[in-house]
Amino acid sequence: MTRGTYLEPASLDEALRLLAEHDGAALVAGGTDLVVGTRQGKRTLPETLVAIHRLPGLDGIAEEDGALAIGALATHDAIERSELVRGRWTALADASAIVGSPATRHVATLGGNLANASPAMETGAPLVVFGAEVELRGQGGSRTVPVEGLWAGPGRTTAAAGEMITGVRVPAPADGSGSAYVRLEYRRAMEIAVVGAAALVTIGAGAVSDARVALTAVAPTIVRSPAAEGALRGREPTAEAIAAAAAAVHDAATPISDVRGSDAYRRAMIEVMARRAIDVAARRAAGEAVPIPATMTVGGTR
Amino acid sequence: MATAAQTKFIRPDGKDKVTGLGRYTADLTMTGMLHACFRYADHAHARIRSIDTAKARALPGVFYVMTDKDVPDVRYGPFVEDRTLFARDVVRYEGEVVAAVAATTPEIAREAAALIDVDYEPLPVVSDVEAALADGAPLVHEGWSGYSASGDVVREGNDASRSTIVKGDVDAALASADAVVKERYVADMSHAVPIEPHAAIAQWQGDRVTVWSSTQVPYIARSGVATTLEIPEGHVRIIVPHLGGGFGGKCEFHYEAHVAALARATDRPVRLVFSRSEEFFAPDHRREGQVIELETGVMNDGTLVARRGRLILDNGAYSADAPFFPQLAAMHAVGPYRIPNVSVDASLAYTNTTPSGSVRAPTAPQACWAVEQHMDSVAASIGMDPVELRRRNILKEGDTTATNQVLEPIGAAETLERAVELIGYGKALPEDEAIGVGCGWWPSFGGPSGAFVKLNGDGSGTIITGAQECGTGAVMALPILVAEELGMRPEDFSILAQDTDAGGWDAGASGSQTTFNNGRAVIEAAREVRAQLLELAEEELEASREDIELVEGAARVKGSPTKSVPITTLADKAQGDRLLLGKGSGSPPPSPDVDASGCTGRLGMETFAAPTFITHAVRVRVDRETGVCRVLEVAASHDCGVILNPVGAEGQVEGGVVMGIGMATLEGSIVGEDGRQRNPHLLDYKLQTSADAPPISIAFVDAPSPYGGPKGSKGTGEPPCVPTPGAIGNAIAQVTGARVHQLPMTPERVWAAAHGVDA
Repeated sequence: MTRGTYLEPASLDEALRLLAEHDGAALVAGGTDLVVGTRQGKRTLPETLVAIHRLPGLDGIAEEDGALAIGALATHDAIERSELVRGRWTALADASAIVGSPATRHVATLGGNLANASPAMETGAPLVVFGAEVELRGQGGSRTVPVEGLWAGPGRTTAAAGEMITGVRVPAPADGSGSAYVRLEYRRAMEIAVVGAAALVTIGAGAVSDARVALTAVAPTIVRSPAAEGALRGREPTAEAIAAAAAAVHDAATPISDVRGSDAYRRAMIEVMARRAIDVAARRAAGEAVPIPATMTVGGTR
Repeated sequence: MATAAQTKFIRPDGKDKVTGLGRYTADLTMTGMLHACFRYADHAHARIRSIDTAKARALPGVFYVMTDKDVPDVRYGPFVEDRTLFARDVVRYEGEVVAAVAATTPEIAREAAALIDVDYEPLPVVSDVEAALADGAPLVHEGWSGYSASGDVVREGNDASRSTIVKGDVDAALASADAVVKERYVADMSHAVPIEPHAAIAQWQGDRVTVWSSTQVPYIARSGVATTLEIPEGHVRIIVPHLGGGFGGKCEFHYEAHVAALARATDRPVRLVFSRSEEFFAPDHRREGQVIELETGVMNDGTLVARRGRLILDNGAYSADAPFFPQLAAMHAVGPYRIPNVSVDASLAYTNTTPSGSVRAPTAPQACWAVEQHMDSVAASIGMDPVELRRRNILKEGDTTATNQVLEPIGAAETLERAVELIGYGKALPEDEAIGVGCGWWPSFGGPSGAFVKLNGDGSGTIITGAQECGTGAVMALPILVAEELGMRPEDFSILAQDTDAGGWDAGASGSQTTFNNGRAVIEAAREVRAQLLELAEEELEASREDIELVEGAARVKGSPTKSVPITTLADKAQGDRLLLGKGSGSPPPSPDVDASGCTGRLGMETFAAPTFITHAVRVRVDRETGVCRVLEVAASHDCGVILNPVGAEGQVEGGVVMGIGMATLEGSIVGEDGRQRNPHLLDYKLQTSADAPPISIAFVDAPSPYGGPKGSKGTGEPPCVPTPGAIGNAIAQVTGARVHQLPMTPERVWAAAHGVDA
């Protein structure tokens, strides 16, 4: 048997104390990355696990002061089903709806997805385009960081030892906005993004007044594409303008070759995904009800 | 037509399996049990200079560290005896077992295995089949000519088995053809991927060993243990708990002897359970890669006149049951068509990769994928509809095959018509969709098999069989056949199976043969019981046995339903002084005549006994921008003779179709130049999920075979995965206008072909 310590604190304060007291302790909530990764030999299980999945009050999904407040323990299933998220932060619902399988989505949490820091994570790109902030709490107090500032590289975050993610605050998009997240997937469940893209498009007076585009699995972390965003601003969201913006994502995409695809294929595909994400975001901004998840409705897997 | 008993019968192992109560090998625990772990080769090809096990042995909790020196000097293999339990002097693939550890926990065993110091001299790695057969290629087995082998295997250097089929004059026929099409296809290695990984537990009592194993072939596993450990076969008992699928990956003898040897050395029960990644790289039963070159001559009216083929199959580092593959693949390179002039040459190349072996319809899905795409290319060359080309050439009763086998009444043409009718071939489709069609064939495998049937005192029955339930339900459905003979209900019978000390010898869950052969055995055994019951009933009913029938659980006088006695009464009466016990094997059906004088490397596949014919038609949508394909609908029509178990037969077709979709679109191993698999895990070796499975409509063509199994049945397990990849390839090519020449046809490959990019 593996020797290890499994701790189940009753409160957030106790969890933070245990995390500080046990050197090398790791948090576990849904366990879908930690346990699977260990079985696959990616890492060894930490000697001490602090299980937080039963901590009260950390799974909320609510509107607070016009922003969306999501607790770290909110599951993808809960996020996907939330009318609040589906209505105004649609790209996040697009993303949560395609994580793993129904079983995965019922236990895997938003906080875990962020902390795992995979460049192929689904919820990262939507949170980036919405300008989300992550709340980190340690025994000494709490701080917030922009979500882009959370990731230091594949599997690495800027959270200090003893800090845990407690929630995410997602500002509301301006009126006239639409958002979308799509990924390239080879099958319809238990899939990981080969590449993916999120877009937030705000339209005023027939032209794009603001645009944000973020890319999944084409760099060591989720990245924004300033060139694509710049190409959209001030333009009418025509097919040509959207295609031109998607063609500009190569400023930010530096894909690698691996068993999931060559760099050449990923480069070609990130443009396709960006175009589809921008297109759906623009259509949603114009009031069209494009079904969630967008991947299933615009991709070859529909 | 199916009887009510056939259609409502629910397999008795189903409920435990779906509720999680079923116990599989890895679920068993013995008192004092140790855990085994292997140390695999650190190179795909290297000479072992030394092995130092001192550090591993010194680790607390380690009971034994075993290497080649600890087991008898035995080479083994079903066709070519080219392998040993543990690496001897040279390692030839990444999954070769160099040493085995038995320790108190799996973690300690793993740690100890890593502590074994092995000093290697790396040797050149042969990872490509064409390079393997090139002049001057490094030999995977320098001592190949010294190995014992079946006399029919034609071998030379890295070519472990070569086979040819020659009929007529191909050169002349190609020269006179209206059009000639020449193509080359490459299929990557893929895997069986049963949900349950390999597991085995061994326990000795005196000089006898019992091994609980996740094998599809317990009797062959028994022989393997006896041969390699040099003990009498009667001292080895193999028991198979619930088996979590096999698909061929658990055929042949694998690791039972390693575990038995560790258990003997430690005087403890020892358990081995594979991880998912071991399941990919270690066992000698992956589906082999192939290079397939085809050249076909056709007349403008669609008559096929000649087929030339050159196939190289990847044997991997050792010969499991693959030496018969070249001849089988050559038969599939001709396909279920009348072609008067044929010349096919097929080789099995040793490489430094995981050994190949039978995986559900070995060689066929890959070869058929190439041939069926080639058929569409041939049709295009003369401007003919691809279904029409098949219609004009598909085999019919009285036709002769490439080996001059004259065909009995068959339903090949009917399968084509039924499949295209079911899918609505020719209907208007969106521009990103197309229908593709593929035909295939597959032989039945007649062979010995044994069973006992007994009736108990309370009138219930027990079937004691050597057949192995693989998850297909074939063994679970044997009570349907027995109940029909005895006028009883299938649910009146329990089954004692998967124990080599109980049942008669059987080839196991392989070759689509369980119902075909063991069905015959249980029917014969039931008929003996039937005779015993009739003899008892004669006394009870004072009637002659000719006038008595067994129906609805009773023996009754024909025409006088009131004159009857329940079978329970007869069983009760028999208890004590008469045994209601039948035994059966039955003679395998006769083999049709062939004239294979034009063939070399004959290993039995020149005869396609009781052949199954299959047509699958698929409707596919292709996302041209990404290359992602989705199979929307499949119509499957099969001539697999008389259907004995409709629920089981439909389950086989559905499972085979989904497996074929996986092979077509995603399932393939990526092998590096170092000979190692790059994606030995389920995240990047992508199976189909239930969310991907399309609606499947099925039409069986009832064509009883004179060479068939019980009641004119044929094998049904393997054929359903044969033609799906080819049909999907044809649909993709119709949407994109570009044929994909490598299997699996991944999104990137489809995209690359459609956009003219090298992938």
